[in-house]
Amino acid sequence: MKVNTTPEAGALAPTHYPRRSQLYRQHVIAGARFEEVAGSVVVAEYIDKTDEAQQAAKLALVDLSTLSRVGFKGAGAPDWLEEQGARLPDSPNRARRQGDGSLIVRLSTDEFLFLCDLTSDSTFTARLWDSWSFQSTKGVYPLPRADSHCWFALTGVHAPTALAKICGIDFHTHRFSKSEVAQTSLARVSAIILRDDLATTPCFLILSDVSSAEYLWDALMDAMLEFQGDAVGMVALRTLTTN
Amino acid sequence: MPSTNRLPAPYGLLLDRDNPIAFSFENKRYQGIAGDSIASALAANDRWLLSRSFKYHRPRSILTMAGQDANTLVQLPADPNVLADREPVVTDMEVRGQNYSGSLDRDRDALIERFSKFLPVGFYYKAFFRPRGIWEMWARLIRQKAGLGVVDQSHEPDYFDKQYLFYDVVVVGAGPAGMEAALRAADSGCEVLLLDENPVLGGSLNYARLDVEGQRARNLRTTMIADVEANSRIDVMVDTVCNGWFADNWLPLIRGRRLYKVRARETILCVGSMEQHAVFRNNDLPGIMMSSAAQRLMHLYAVRPGRAAVVLAGNNDAYGVALDLLDAGVDVKRIVDLREDPHYDDIARSVIARNIAVTDGHAVYAALPDPKTGHLGSVDIRKIVSDGVCGGKGEIIECDLLCMAAGYTPTYQLICQAGGQLDYDDDKSSFTLTKLPVSCQIAGSVTGTWSIDSVIAEAGHAGTVAGNATGAVQQHISLEQPENDADNVNLPWPIFPHPDGKEFVDFDEDLQIADILNAVGDGYEHLQLVKRYSTSGMGPSQGRHSALATARLVARATNKTIASTGVSTARPPFVAERLAHSAGRSFYPARRSNMHYRHLEAGAQMLHAGAWYRPAYYGPKESRVDAIRSEVSNVRNNVGLVDVSTLGGIEVRGADAGEFLNRIYTFNFAKQPVGRARYALLTNEAGTVIDDGVACRIHEHHYYVTATTGGVDRVYQSMLKWNAQWRLDVDIANVSSALCGVNIAGPKARRVLEALCPDVDLSAAAFPYMGVREGSVAGLPARLIRVGFVGELGYEIHVPQHFGEALWDALLTAGSEHKIAPFGIEAQRVLRLEKGHIIIGQDTDAMSHPMEVQMGWAVSHKKPFFVGKRTIAELEKKQQKRRLVGFVINDPNAPIPLESHLVLDGEEMVGRVTSCEYSPTLDKPVGLAYAQPSKTESGSKIVIKSTGGTRVPADIVDLPFYDPDNRRQQL
Repeated sequence: MKVNTTPEAGALAPTHYPRRSQLYRQHVIAGARFEEVAGSVVVAEYIDKTDEAQQAAKLALVDLSTLSRVGFKGAGAPDWLEEQGARLPDSPNRARRQGDGSLIVRLSTDEFLFLCDLTSDSTFTARLWDSWSFQSTKGVYPLPRADSHCWFALTGVHAPTALAKICGIDFHTHRFSKSEVAQTSLARVSAIILRDDLATTPCFLILSDVSSAEYLWDALMDAMLEFQGDAVGMVALRTLTTN
Repeated sequence: MPSTNRLPAPYGLLLDRDNPIAFSFENKRYQGIAGDSIASALAANDRWLLSRSFKYHRPRSILTMAGQDANTLVQLPADPNVLADREPVVTDMEVRGQNYSGSLDRDRDALIERFSKFLPVGFYYKAFFRPRGIWEMWARLIRQKAGLGVVDQSHEPDYFDKQYLFYDVVVVGAGPAGMEAALRAADSGCEVLLLDENPVLGGSLNYARLDVEGQRARNLRTTMIADVEANSRIDVMVDTVCNGWFADNWLPLIRGRRLYKVRARETILCVGSMEQHAVFRNNDLPGIMMSSAAQRLMHLYAVRPGRAAVVLAGNNDAYGVALDLLDAGVDVKRIVDLREDPHYDDIARSVIARNIAVTDGHAVYAALPDPKTGHLGSVDIRKIVSDGVCGGKGEIIECDLLCMAAGYTPTYQLICQAGGQLDYDDDKSSFTLTKLPVSCQIAGSVTGTWSIDSVIAEAGHAGTVAGNATGAVQQHISLEQPENDADNVNLPWPIFPHPDGKEFVDFDEDLQIADILNAVGDGYEHLQLVKRYSTSGMGPSQGRHSALATARLVARATNKTIASTGVSTARPPFVAERLAHSAGRSFYPARRSNMHYRHLEAGAQMLHAGAWYRPAYYGPKESRVDAIRSEVSNVRNNVGLVDVSTLGGIEVRGADAGEFLNRIYTFNFAKQPVGRARYALLTNEAGTVIDDGVACRIHEHHYYVTATTGGVDRVYQSMLKWNAQWRLDVDIANVSSALCGVNIAGPKARRVLEALCPDVDLSAAAFPYMGVREGSVAGLPARLIRVGFVGELGYEIHVPQHFGEALWDALLTAGSEHKIAPFGIEAQRVLRLEKGHIIIGQDTDAMSHPMEVQMGWAVSHKKPFFVGKRTIAELEKKQQKRRLVGFVINDPNAPIPLESHLVLDGEEMVGRVTSCEYSPTLDKPVGLAYAQPSKTESGSKIVIKSTGGTRVPADIVDLPFYDPDNRRQQL
């Protein structure tokens, strides 16, 4: 793929930042307008698309890979995280929202994934990272989830059906509850999928191996095609969140 | 021009009469109507001959109109063996017959029937094996003639995919039983999927006659469909085949180009029954069909099935067919009732009241073709004097349609796959189904229930049971099982041998009564053996019509009951399934590093390493050799950059990290200083070398271990497995994807880095070979490891994955004044070979232990334990049989050996080449090979059998080939 990544004068471009999504070329080709977030950029919207919020309410895919996130694991992780003020989910495969809008996903008894909020305003994730040190924190080990995994949001009423084309888990909203988490195979790659609705719009956050990001993005877009799904930007997500 | 046999509305439930469709069959244009199948559209045009039979090339036509037989298999341009009675006709469709020579109407291969006496069942096995070797000749001839349709090998694959569905209750079959079962299951509040292979709901209500007036089926259909469609808990899928039943109610449904993988908590199989043919001479002529096929033609497709009909009655359903034929303007010449003393119902009595001639206790002894058309011209009916035996003198009745209503078998396939058992009830002369699994119900005619009231009651019961098992609301279930009030619908022996044969038991394979009896005569008495020897039931219709007749014949011939004769096994798929459905959308996960597009932009030719894309070399394919040599040269003389992001990376952290590595790897890591890297060789319990990398001590309790691209997942799993036993205080995390890596190598590597690393002292003294540092490169957080895989001053730089492209750009920019250039995997292979470094998996195999590959130096014998230690110790005591050695080829004209070329000692194979490349640095081919231990000293000579069998002499040399003092990597 030969892409002219030279931005228009004054426009933000992924190449202005060292931290770049694996998918930025696809976004550029699709006419993305970017916005800065967490020392990188995300797609704010696609210039040629109209009413992305409506699209997101039906079926849309958003690349959140440059947003911040981190993981912690180890026998000492639950106690240490609670000492840091984390409100942990009670059981594995559940997620819980924190006061600053971030999410904690409990992947096992002693493994946790921290996702920032969609505006990346939440500071909890970064604060945890800063608090941790090998010397002072016994039995707690950070995991570089921000780089090991790409991060997508699949939104809209058709999302469960689109997922059913590439995953063997029933994600229909009456079966797969809010804040429920599945660690599963999606189009033959491992993925963490959690439901985190945007107000009344179903939303599934998908984290998968970062090196397969393009493959998975294409597989999802292909699965979405019959429902007229499309890629949208962060503006649409925020619109749905506040609706 | 109106079609010859088209009936007026309201006939033709499936037709959209406003939408005519033109198509061709055998290059002749025909007019159909939207909703027609190919077969119905042709029948409407009085075109009945559709195919030729497999063995004798007999003319064949519509038999079931339900896709249950092979008579209607036709050829479409891209698809062979398409069922013409199910495939919708579409505009400009080009349909052809198949399995003929010349033309479908005048098939030259039909001559083979004249030799049928010499082609009995099993003749393959008896005729073609003498003289020795002759089978090869016959096999070619037979295979040329065998097979039906033709595969279009130029056809481009279409898009097929899959989808999961999840329901509380899945009801297969949307006839009256299926619809009732779905409605009652939904009453319990559960989610129900109702599916049917036909394009509309209704099943037999769409064509069967339930009362004299012909109103009840229509009314019931209308009411039930309205109820189903109004019920929000019921999803409906039509044109959908359930092609199997697998454990835990896993159902593969096929609709269009999609395979639905359905999980159901409960299944209700209302799959109905299949009408059976009578066995008499020429029972396969065009114009002879199941009575239900005639009804389907009339009611679904508005096709008059004939002008003058005889109805062969084995039950009262035949009289409903006769009424339908009369209503459609067909001249019903006679009802030939196989029963001696029939018990008439209201419909039968009404037929008799319309002065239709009925002959009881008679059979169709033979059908006679019209000599001009080959279509049915008349039937010879005779009195039945005992089971299967007819009187000597018959009556000839002219007709062009014979409807057979000889009985039914349950559609048992899915039920048997679910664990149900197929038995035979002698009183009812029919198959029965028992031993149904939990969470699987059956209802309707598949259970042998025939009257509509009983069917509805039975289905309602099944639906309520399934609904209560899964739904939120518990419905009342009557303790009384619904009563089956039906008369017998099957005759015990609708089989009438004829001295001249051609009474077909199995239409697919042209098997006659004598063929089945001959199979028994040859000693095959169990049905499964008869099936395989005779091929009965092994054709496209998979015994749907031959199973019962074959079982009856075998039982009688062996003086056994049908139950003890055994029944056939019904394996999935239920109908022929395209490989494309099983394959679905092809998912081939691909992995790319963050720098992937930089490689493409630089003109890289990419190769696959597992799921990864890696740059092989940079430049056009035609310049491959020059590109690789140039890249090698640049690394040796300037500085090169290679993407090593695919390497595995594992963090081992915790108080026991050192002990853990000591146990996992062969080397000693306990005293490894922080800030140092050490080669890490991994063996398994058998002492076999399975992976390698470097272990970097980042902190007293923290190691970062690299592993090979293809081996990291196995290494990680192995580590987890071992620590599950050892329970050391250690955390193991596979961070391979989280890090992007490059190796910057060459004598100018330090100078490039110095411009980008303000916080790391890169001097040789401060950061020596095999040192590890953490700092920043171009402002990016980085881990730097001084390694020498390619034999030059080199640094592996690992940064978070999303920074990979920025790192690549920064290094190329900073290195431009030092002539930095990217190099690919091919150059890296040459460089490491010059340095004598092995690649695990290429230079090792499943038997290689460390001493064999000159890795004894990487094994610590002082440690109390490591995985494989004991085996390695035992192996060391034994005499070595081979050893990996370095060789050079000094003959400039010799062909360069390839991997796996043999090392010979005389004509004896003593080893093989594992790596061999032309070395630009040494200007000669160099390689690694396994050789006999006596030939491993420097100066020894070996012979390699190279391309074309050429013997290539090679000289053994000490490793490495390049820079034996390691000065360059330690600069």
